[in-house]
Amino acid sequence: MLKSKIVKGTLSGLLLSSLFLAGCSSSSGGDGGDKTTVEIFQFKVEFKQQFEAVAEQYEKENPDVDLKITTVGGGNDYKSAITSKFSSGEEPAIFNIGGPTDVKQFKDRLTDLSDTEAAKAAQEGTLDGVTVDGEVLGVPYNQEGYGFIYNKRILKEAGIDPMSLTTYDKLEEAVKKLDSQKDKLELDAVFAYPVKEKWVTGNHLSNVFLANEFDGDILKTSESKTVSFEEGDAFKQMIDLQNEYSVQPTTSLDYSQQVEELFSLEKVAFIQQGNWVYNTVYEMDPELAEKGIGIIPIPNGDEAKMPVGVPNYWSVNSKVDEEVQEEAKKFLDWLYTSDEGKTAVLEEFKFIPAYEGYDTEKISDPLSQEIYKYAEEGNTLGWVFMGYPVGWNEDLGASVQKYVSGDQTWDELVKETQKIWEDKADQ
Amino acid sequence: MRNRDLAFWLFLTPVLAALIIVVIIPLLFGFYYSFTNWNGLGRLDFIGLENYVNLFNDNAFLSAFWFTVKFSIASIVLINIIGLGLALLVTSKLKSSNFLRTVFFMPNLIGGLILGFIWQFIFIKVFGSIGDLLGIESLNGWLSTTDTGFWGLVILTAWQMAGYIMIIYIAYLQAVPGDLLEAAEIDGANAFQRFRHITFPLVAPAFTVSLFLTLSHSFKIYDQNLSLTGGAPYNSTEMVAMNIIRSAFTDNEMAYAQSKAVIFFVIVAIISLLQVYFNKKREVEL
Repeated sequence: MLKSKIVKGTLSGLLLSSLFLAGCSSSSGGDGGDKTTVEIFQFKVEFKQQFEAVAEQYEKENPDVDLKITTVGGGNDYKSAITSKFSSGEEPAIFNIGGPTDVKQFKDRLTDLSDTEAAKAAQEGTLDGVTVDGEVLGVPYNQEGYGFIYNKRILKEAGIDPMSLTTYDKLEEAVKKLDSQKDKLELDAVFAYPVKEKWVTGNHLSNVFLANEFDGDILKTSESKTVSFEEGDAFKQMIDLQNEYSVQPTTSLDYSQQVEELFSLEKVAFIQQGNWVYNTVYEMDPELAEKGIGIIPIPNGDEAKMPVGVPNYWSVNSKVDEEVQEEAKKFLDWLYTSDEGKTAVLEEFKFIPAYEGYDTEKISDPLSQEIYKYAEEGNTLGWVFMGYPVGWNEDLGASVQKYVSGDQTWDELVKETQKIWEDKADQ
Repeated sequence: MRNRDLAFWLFLTPVLAALIIVVIIPLLFGFYYSFTNWNGLGRLDFIGLENYVNLFNDNAFLSAFWFTVKFSIASIVLINIIGLGLALLVTSKLKSSNFLRTVFFMPNLIGGLILGFIWQFIFIKVFGSIGDLLGIESLNGWLSTTDTGFWGLVILTAWQMAGYIMIIYIAYLQAVPGDLLEAAEIDGANAFQRFRHITFPLVAPAFTVSLFLTLSHSFKIYDQNLSLTGGAPYNSTEMVAMNIIRSAFTDNEMAYAQSKAVIFFVIVAIISLLQVYFNKKREVEL
């Protein structure tokens, strides 16, 4: 008797609670009347507003398309967000991948884009990282480059010509010269080196000294089972140089201190960063950004090439309806190959375009212009770090922290990171 | 015997249903996933205990665990001492005691991430400047070594949580009967003896509650850890929660992270239950 009461009660309670929970069910399916809804899930916070404005422009021109944009910032956050989004069954039509490593992870969701206008217009080499068996699985956002960004005024006062710093020896000489005049130039140090940010050492700096080992080829990198650190000595030298002449302690120095504070307030002469810092410096000191900074490559021995690469790609999800896929491709084509789109890419997004047929005179900031010059001359180095085994860049970055703290030797670092590479490449 | 009522179950089911859907079922799923090689997407194969075997050979995880244990011990002691101290302070006959209660409780209202950044500024900039002014070398370079990172975390957590624990102690301190204390005073007990032999045993139940709260809280800290040190230098100030997140989202090893989480859950549960059991035994009845 009691049992049946409990059962009845529970059942009726469930009925009641189902009424409460009914309100939470989501209406999936992208049919807003006869509009096609294209969900875009992207990571680049820096141009969120500009991108949304451009999307609105596109909707005006194509009234039957509804673009829904979600932006989730930061490298790691994006990846975890997109992974959870997929596993929850809410599949966006357009999303971002970073390179071969992501291609492996998302391969059963990537549509072949090789017949799109955007893919055809993409510059030589920019599609290497996302091309598998002749299929193009993403189209590039833009190009970025990094090196040593310098403060023109400080170098001038110290009597150093930045263009002459094409070898390690010349750079070291200049650094020592700057260091000896620190007080006169009112510098805290020559560099601000954020060893705390694992990507600064683990992605960017390592790329300069590992790229040659893989012929600058991102696919070769992602297929390699081992890493040899052929140019490890030069890599060590560069870490030592930056670490020794940096604002201390480097293990707790982060990106915002490096860029927003020390560099923008002209307390250091050099920082190892890329053209993405421009807007931040501009916000702190517009005049300094427009007239007072330049960028040179990070010298590897006697070679100085600018590492230029594609940080991220747009991909179309093969699991959404055919119709939505088509609309997604159309939008990407419009974004990168139509006149309105091109104008937005250059002037609103302030990108270095990864496509042919742009008026590159219009590249907005001095750092990007400088980087584009190197790219035109072909004096560049590929970005291979997107091809490292998953998470290896973080392990290397952590290992570098350990090395500069004096808790392990360079040889131990090499051995440890080689072992991690082998373990991860095996999986 | 209320639970014979139909109404009792009627009122309970919505909550029960919600609990089962958002806690119990995911927990069971989590157990299941920890025996597979799921990477968050795509296929999944059953691989038995492999994750658990790897986990006990994973130095990064073990050192994160050890760091968490050390951190928890240090912060539990510190939080409870400070919390009890503050509670004694604001229950004594001070004019400003109401105002002070609010002040001490305030840190709790600030989110952990923000706190981490605030304290990062204090440790790096403020400590550095004071160190430079007074010529105290040890105040420079905070958060750049494992030890300063550790104590930084402990100080932050103590500062954040002491006010909350204070509230619990206040509640019990106010329940200590005044006539007992008065009688002891007439018998010639000094302030320390009164505290040691009357207040302390009567406040013991508060220890059960606060120890449980501080223990589970310190073990599970993530956001303060992320914003204060981010694990730097070289992941040596990384706690278990952060290590699990890193496995899941940086290395894409969802199932492996899940097995770490299962072990973590089991250990925290065992420690908490043991602590509550032993404390309960020692409490005195009035």
